[in-house]
Amino acid sequence: MDDATNTTTAAATRADGRPAATRAPQTITTGPFAVVLATAPARDADGPAALLPWESGTILERLLEQLASLGVTRAAVITRPAWRRDVAAAAPGAEMLESGDAAADLRRIADVARDTTGAVVVLHGDIVTHREALAGLLADPRVATGVLGGGGALARPFAFRFRARRGRIISAASPYHATFRPTAPFLGALKVAPNDVAVLCAAADQLAGATEVVSEEWLGELRRKEGMWRMSLYRRALDAETEEDPDGAENAAEGPEDVDDDDPNASEEELTLDRFALELSEEDEIRVRERVAAAPDDVVSLLLVGLVRDGAHVSVSHLRKLFWARPLSTEGVEQASEDILDYDEDRVLLDSAVKARDGFFTTFFVSPYSRYIARWAAHRGYTPNQITTVSVLMGLVAAILFATGERWGLIAGAVVLQVAFTTDCVDGQLARYSRQFSKLGAWLDSVFDRTKEYLAFAGLAIGASRMGDPVWTLACCALILQMVRHMSDFAYGAGQQQAIGATTHPPLTQSADTWSAAVEVRREARAKAMEQAAAAGVPFEEFVDESAPPPTPAERVKRSMRFALKAWHVLDRARPLQWVKRMITFPIGERFAAISITAALFTPRVTFIVLLAWGSFAALYMTVGRLLRSFSR
Amino acid sequence: MSAAATTAHAPTERPSALLVYRDDGAIARALGAAVAPRLRRVPAILPALAAVVPLLVAIAISDARASNLAAGLVLAWLVIVGGLSHGASHRDRMAWAVPPTVRLAEYAALLWIAALDDVASQPAAFALLCALAFRAYDLVYRLRHQASTPAAWVNAISLGWEGRVILAFLLLVAGALPAGYFVWAAIVAAVFVGEATVSWMAHARGQRTVDYEDEEDEGQ
Repeated sequence: MDDATNTTTAAATRADGRPAATRAPQTITTGPFAVVLATAPARDADGPAALLPWESGTILERLLEQLASLGVTRAAVITRPAWRRDVAAAAPGAEMLESGDAAADLRRIADVARDTTGAVVVLHGDIVTHREALAGLLADPRVATGVLGGGGALARPFAFRFRARRGRIISAASPYHATFRPTAPFLGALKVAPNDVAVLCAAADQLAGATEVVSEEWLGELRRKEGMWRMSLYRRALDAETEEDPDGAENAAEGPEDVDDDDPNASEEELTLDRFALELSEEDEIRVRERVAAAPDDVVSLLLVGLVRDGAHVSVSHLRKLFWARPLSTEGVEQASEDILDYDEDRVLLDSAVKARDGFFTTFFVSPYSRYIARWAAHRGYTPNQITTVSVLMGLVAAILFATGERWGLIAGAVVLQVAFTTDCVDGQLARYSRQFSKLGAWLDSVFDRTKEYLAFAGLAIGASRMGDPVWTLACCALILQMVRHMSDFAYGAGQQQAIGATTHPPLTQSADTWSAAVEVRREARAKAMEQAAAAGVPFEEFVDESAPPPTPAERVKRSMRFALKAWHVLDRARPLQWVKRMITFPIGERFAAISITAALFTPRVTFIVLLAWGSFAALYMTVGRLLRSFSR
Repeated sequence: MSAAATTAHAPTERPSALLVYRDDGAIARALGAAVAPRLRRVPAILPALAAVVPLLVAIAISDARASNLAAGLVLAWLVIVGGLSHGASHRDRMAWAVPPTVRLAEYAALLWIAALDDVASQPAAFALLCALAFRAYDLVYRLRHQASTPAAWVNAISLGWEGRVILAFLLLVAGALPAGYFVWAAIVAAVFVGEATVSWMAHARGQRTVDYEDEEDEGQ
């Protein structure tokens, strides 16, 4: 339950004509400046894909309207000289910029961004998505510099991917840059906070120079990607033939998942295949050709690489389960306009307002109905801060009831405490659903969570003293344990951020990122050793790779820790076990449930003993896990 | 990478979170600074553990009875060795374990001191712990959402963890428990909550975005 609130409740104008009931507009004093790229050609029509028809207008008009409704006050459209007139007609309020190629695109972006004082948004003009998806990136105060990411199958085949850790991008791919084990696709929309705009401009300038005359290394990377795309199409065709892949047919429109060179599921045989000798169907050959042709124009992904490699803090706004597409053809637009109708935007928003990684108790006993309370509260115009306040007042009432020490008081207190906890879940969900985030709200929510819990401790201890069974020492111990556990969570997170922030990134001219470069070195050493062995007449089966240096003791510790962690994660595959593991960590829902149940049925002494026993076990469990992770790095 | 762009992201701009979470006072800082050149390569968790283990052993075997001299020695060791750990490395792989260890040491010491006094001091210890817990959380949340720390005068009044342990021991020796704890708790609660509220109100008025660090509170 971390995010909450703002006090803005005025009605929003909705671009898609739905009632303006709940979405609050953001109070943005100087709106971001949007640079929209209408440079990708439509596959089967004359002109840019951004000008493909959408309802009564074009995709570009729809996108610009969505941006304007999200507070974008100034927009510039970059297009090719031949399309300028048509684009200008479709985007009457926007500045027009002409450019001949990707390098010029980057220069234009640097030129216009340099003069702005506010945030800058760079995105493809041919994106079809829900307004709320863009809102998550543009209007969420928690995202300073960030991208729209996610989408899974929807994002194929035109999106490059990135690798994120703890919500921060640590490596990104572009036509010319590789990412080691990417975690999600980049959906072509990038927001840059005012204090990162200088970095953006510097990166754009540098990239412009490098794209004018593309280096051998960069071309090699694009070629590697082409092989990867061929491989994935080949694999899918094979799967479709043998009908092994049940969703092969379903995903046909989106294209198959990209095969990575470091894909742990890829067989040795697949990795050594000559990908350019693979026989593809005519349709797939066209697909690859189009993708390779379109890739160098994806300057937004290049800019993302520039920001990440320069150490900028780029966070991710997830698409959640909303719709996203870059149709790029009349046929694609028709498909997208049909597909987007299948989405119930309100439903998706409500479902994604529930935190993905909540505890067992919260997920199964609170969230199923609290989300409807959240929606009700949103329609009534309540703010998350009001709900938070109600929640803490109920926590106070529960503590007072506990303090009576009588059986009826303990039972009533237990019930009120549960109501307080539900209300507490509602405020976070309301904030996410109605997009009313604020730092103040997040703070209030966190502080009041702690307050409620420790008030309950105090109430129980007072009640026990009144009944002649003082438990203050136990109460103090329970409080200390919970404090130390929280501190461990915070400090562990901070330590991870510290490590991420200290990552050194290679220069933009290098295709491989820090991690894939290391893998590359290893692979080359192995290949060389294999060649030498073959030259010496060693049969393939007897080849022993001696190119690797013998592991140092520290290396051995690392490996055994990694092995232990891996074995531990095997358990995650069974869903019930996953829930058990989550319960063991004694999250807030479980703690409040344990307090209520033990207080109502037994005595405060039992409550504190249960809290201490379960909490100590959780602390031990989590400390062991963190030690393993710390030493496997 | 351009030079201008690189400097825009110097990681040193933000105070090191782990050092802030430790909540050291003037004594620990001075001790740490004095030994920093020698301890720079030593993981801080080692001196931190060395500081806290004798205290935990003493708590376990003392059965809430110890002479002032014995208690004073254990606490002095805690303050000195724990203070020295301020100067050790907070950038190694175990650095995350330091702030929780320091918190455990501080709170265990405060509770033990109350126990040495009398059972009647325990409610006062609870009150004091609640007030100090507010500060510990405030340090974390303010750094996370505002990228700042409490005002200098508040940090001075808070005394730092080692200052608090010393003050608690002095109150015990002076026979000022439990009233001393109650008064202390009331004062710092008013200061901490008051200053934090003012700071947040000001921050909310001029809300600007700060890098949001997703520190994922697994155990919340």
